[in-house]
Amino acid sequence: MAMQPHSKKRVCYYYDSDIGNYYYGQGHPMKPHRIRMTHNLLLNYGLYRKMEIYRPHKATADEMTKFHSDDYIRFLRSIRPDNMNEYNKQMQRFNVGEDCPVFDGLYEFCQLSAGGSVAAAVKLNKQASEICINWGGGLHHAKKSEASGFCYVNDIVLGILELLKYYQRVLYIDIDVHHGDGVEEAFYTTDRVMTVSFHKYGEYFPGTGDLRDIGAGKGKYYAVNIPLRDGMDDESYESIFVPIISKVMETFQPSAVVLQCGADSLTGDRLGCFNLTVRGHGRCVELVKRFGLPFLLVGGGGYTIRNVSRCWTYETSVALGVEIANELPYNDYFEYFGPDFKLHISPSNMSNQNTPEYLEKIKNRLFENLRMLPHAPGVQVQAIPEDAVNDESEDEDKIDKDERLPQSEKDKRITGEGELSDSEDEGEGGRRDNRSYRAPQRKRPRLDKDLAHHKDDTNNEDSKDDVKNVSNLEEPKKEATPSA
Amino acid sequence: MHVLTRGVRPSIPPARRTGQCYGKHTFAIDVAQEAIDNFSRDKVKFGWKDGCSFEGISKTTQRDSRSFGIDVEHSLEEHIAAMEEESTELPGTDGLAPKQRHQAKHRELFLSRHVETLPATHIRGKCTVTLLNETESLLSYLNKDDAFFYCLVFDPSQKTLLADKGEIRVGSRYQTEVTNLLKEEPRNSEDLETLVWTPEHGLTDRQIDQFLVVSRSVGTFARALDCSSSVKQPSLHMSAAAASRDITLFHAMDTLHKSGYSIEGALSSLVPASGPVLCRDEMEEWSASEANLFEEALDKYGKDFTDIRQDFLPWKTLKNLVEYYYMWKTTDRYVQQKRVKAVEAESKLKQVYIPNYNKPNPALVSSGGGAGAGGAPAAAGKAGAVLNGGTNGTAAPNLCASCQVTNSNQWYAWGPQHLQYRLCGSCWQYWKKYGGLKTAGVFGESEAEAAKGAREGDETALSASHRPHRCTVLNCAKEFKLRAHLARHVATAHGAGEGARPVMKTRAAFYLRASPFTRLARRLARALRRPRHYAHSPFSPINLHQVKHECTLAMAGGVGAGIGAEVRGAARARGPVGAVAARLAAAHGGAAPRAQDWLTLTPRDRMPAPNHVAFPKPPKAPDGSLMYERVASRAELEARRNEPAPAPVLTPAPPLKRRAYDDINGLDMYYVVLQEPPRPPHPPHPYTMEALLG
Ligand SMILES: [Zn+2]
Ligand SMILES: [Zn+2]
Ligand SMILES: [Zn+2]
Repeated sequence: MAMQPHSKKRVCYYYDSDIGNYYYGQGHPMKPHRIRMTHNLLLNYGLYRKMEIYRPHKATADEMTKFHSDDYIRFLRSIRPDNMNEYNKQMQRFNVGEDCPVFDGLYEFCQLSAGGSVAAAVKLNKQASEICINWGGGLHHAKKSEASGFCYVNDIVLGILELLKYYQRVLYIDIDVHHGDGVEEAFYTTDRVMTVSFHKYGEYFPGTGDLRDIGAGKGKYYAVNIPLRDGMDDESYESIFVPIISKVMETFQPSAVVLQCGADSLTGDRLGCFNLTVRGHGRCVELVKRFGLPFLLVGGGGYTIRNVSRCWTYETSVALGVEIANELPYNDYFEYFGPDFKLHISPSNMSNQNTPEYLEKIKNRLFENLRMLPHAPGVQVQAIPEDAVNDESEDEDKIDKDERLPQSEKDKRITGEGELSDSEDEGEGGRRDNRSYRAPQRKRPRLDKDLAHHKDDTNNEDSKDDVKNVSNLEEPKKEATPSA
Repeated sequence: MHVLTRGVRPSIPPARRTGQCYGKHTFAIDVAQEAIDNFSRDKVKFGWKDGCSFEGISKTTQRDSRSFGIDVEHSLEEHIAAMEEESTELPGTDGLAPKQRHQAKHRELFLSRHVETLPATHIRGKCTVTLLNETESLLSYLNKDDAFFYCLVFDPSQKTLLADKGEIRVGSRYQTEVTNLLKEEPRNSEDLETLVWTPEHGLTDRQIDQFLVVSRSVGTFARALDCSSSVKQPSLHMSAAAASRDITLFHAMDTLHKSGYSIEGALSSLVPASGPVLCRDEMEEWSASEANLFEEALDKYGKDFTDIRQDFLPWKTLKNLVEYYYMWKTTDRYVQQKRVKAVEAESKLKQVYIPNYNKPNPALVSSGGGAGAGGAPAAAGKAGAVLNGGTNGTAAPNLCASCQVTNSNQWYAWGPQHLQYRLCGSCWQYWKKYGGLKTAGVFGESEAEAAKGAREGDETALSASHRPHRCTVLNCAKEFKLRAHLARHVATAHGAGEGARPVMKTRAAFYLRASPFTRLARRLARALRRPRHYAHSPFSPINLHQVKHECTLAMAGGVGAGIGAEVRGAARARGPVGAVAARLAAAHGGAAPRAQDWLTLTPRDRMPAPNHVAFPKPPKAPDGSLMYERVASRAELEARRNEPAPAPVLTPAPPLKRRAYDDINGLDMYYVVLQEPPRPPHPPHPYTMEALLG
């Protein structure tokens, strides 16, 4: 099936060419260089030219204190490797030192990471884009007044706060191997953000993310934790990701989605213990993208950097709906990808300790929790000027032909869904606890597709594209360094 | 890497978990592996990062806190509570058959942050250890071989077991304020971002590709014109390669964007009046000598770029260094270096050959019958001998102590020797893997009780497994099946005061028993003893070899028929105390005192009756005889003491490896007692790694 050019997503991508040169310190597994490696791959795959590329501003202290405490940001702004000794007490208080070292340009690094996510969120608020990507973001462990797990400033929370100005409900999904504790904690008591984290649980950093942690106060049932064990492979991951996310979409009905794409859940990660391939990881992006909601993709963990850049390159292509060759194009860091120089990686033979029964039990428990949500969320108060309001019937026609709707139309659809949900309730009756992938509203275009069939439509939907357009460009192989 | 240990499941509610008392118990878990328990045994697991664990084996205590952990300072109630809950607390046991519940206990391990390294040759198998999830049924573990679960983690710093669970904190210091929906227009993006490229350019892919080729050509030509470049890149090919690096491409894209995606405009800005544009990244920018300097610095400082910059390349910025470093990693120099290192590492890596383990286990009983005179292991023979003596007929000789079968290809001696227990082949395998009996067997539900009893000593062993526990308080004599119940009874019915204490075993008593040879040596090698000297320098060693040598010489020389007397000593007849007093008074020149009243003994019948009898006589049986608890016969004790090789199950602990634990826990005394039996130089230890899956 030939794809219409307009079926592609409008993708905005945030990158600062300085980001790769921040260095956490000798032996530290977090390497911002992986973001630059991704960027160079994107250029040489020809994906760069298909996106809007932005250099983000440096987030100001004012912007960062929308979430973080003033004294914490003041501390981050003033601490440097050469004045560390004067800050011993504060370093302890803010948990800066060991895992989260003080390095040269630390504050700037945080500014760029946060600046990208905030700018991306604003872009989505303006409906100037459908998918925004900030691989420099995703630092999900940072707390309000505390650094944690290599994260200092929580760009995700800042981005979501920005989205909450115009979107009633924001869904946060976290596929990093670690629990997304910083984001979960920040929104633990609100019902406007649902956090869903898939992570290794049990004697593992950061120690939170138990199945029983479901939120508190108004936010009760709005934190969803999927505790997993070592060795998650593509198949098991999808078997839990698809039903949970579908159910969450159905019950929470978010108006925007943020996906943290931590690549430490890939096989062979230096700190991880899952067994996902780039394809399995990217599958999550593909599935979330299907829902057609305003979509922010951020980075996160990932400590085997050649695989991180493979993964994020692939996921950028998925966001664009463009197929890319398995053969990696030549680039400045080509040698990193030896010996095979391929995009995709193979899983290891490690054993998967997540049995189907275990996953099934977890899933059922989470479904029980999700049933506790008020099924028809309040009608969304949308203040976005609805410039392009069309006749309803016209809309329906359009949906069939055209996957891509202007944002305003989708929002309008979501707006009027209260009564629809009610009728759906009756219709669904007792089969609610079945694995129903079917979304309740016929009116939301992306939900219309039965996800159970996703395997079939993968090939003829978004991804089939003119491969020639983006395939490797024929180039003379560059010699390494002539000088050294 | 974590070590997982089986031990006491602390079933105290969370509030108590952090208490001092608790620390004591749980600590015993770790200690006991090596030192304390010689009846039950356990696994030490080594978790590897990929989730696989390898199991070794080490002895440890069973699920009991009584035999060692109890500290006198702690209140009794606390311990009783602990014991009561002990057996019931395992989560998820509802709906399991009693047998399954029994077996489920064997699958629980306690994660410990203690790290231990064992030789790979001790690996006997692979197992999985996972955190028990509340949704899971324990059956899912029972149905799988070698699957274990844990709920609690031993934290050595706090000396306690914790449910290792992080916490999401709630409060204004942790949550963010959520803004309300806004009505006004979103923020101005111009302050937030700068557009660098847009796909709405109207150019075809082909055109862009062409432009990229042109920009590379311009770069090549620029290098030809540049003097410094032509030195570094003597061939055109090399210049072309340098001009194809990503920095040139990024610049080309930027140029296209800046010139409004007009190829023409972009071309002219590639070749301004000043000459063709030359883009060089760090890789190209650095001279050969700088590169050498960098490699030298890297060798010296590692990847500490701040130091490298300071001492080697102060004219570069830190960013220059980092960027160069990541590019340097693609060079042949680096790749070669890496290859050399890899080969080195390869050569250092030893192939570990893990032989099939098929040595016969010392506990293997040679023939099916009870009379194991057939020589194989001493333990089995001994067992047979005692059995024939018929000292106690507690265990039927041909029954498996666990599953009660009478037919098995192999039998293994199990439990304290004099009890004659044996296990069938499959129960033995189970015992070795899980440290418990497959079925509660002859012990009913109180298998652990029996195990404990054996550990504590003979008399209690018997009473624990076969006799009810009787309250020792006068005129009470109530009987209880479990000691825990007795303890509670004592605490509640008789008050938890001093009287109740003796029920609980406190710290094990010990004494140093000097052997006849030692005592003899003390006298014969008097010259070497120098007690005053050693008292002043407690750390200077006594040369035992010399002592032994002198002593044997003296004995061989028959230094005297007096040896016997020396050793035994002679009782001196001093006469009654009154006479001694009189003699002393006379010696001091005083008058011979009158016989003092207080020196004469009160006649027995006139002795005052105490309010409280500390050691009351045991109750009378219907026939009028006193019912004493059984005390092991002298022969039995003797037999055990003279045991030449360690028995299969009643084994002395291996040499003190975990001194740190013992020291802290103060259990070394108990340990000394266990150490006492003489041992061959390298005792074949049935619970060392080798014994696993024998
Ligand atoms: Zn992570
Ligand atoms: Zn205690
Ligand atoms: Zn048996």
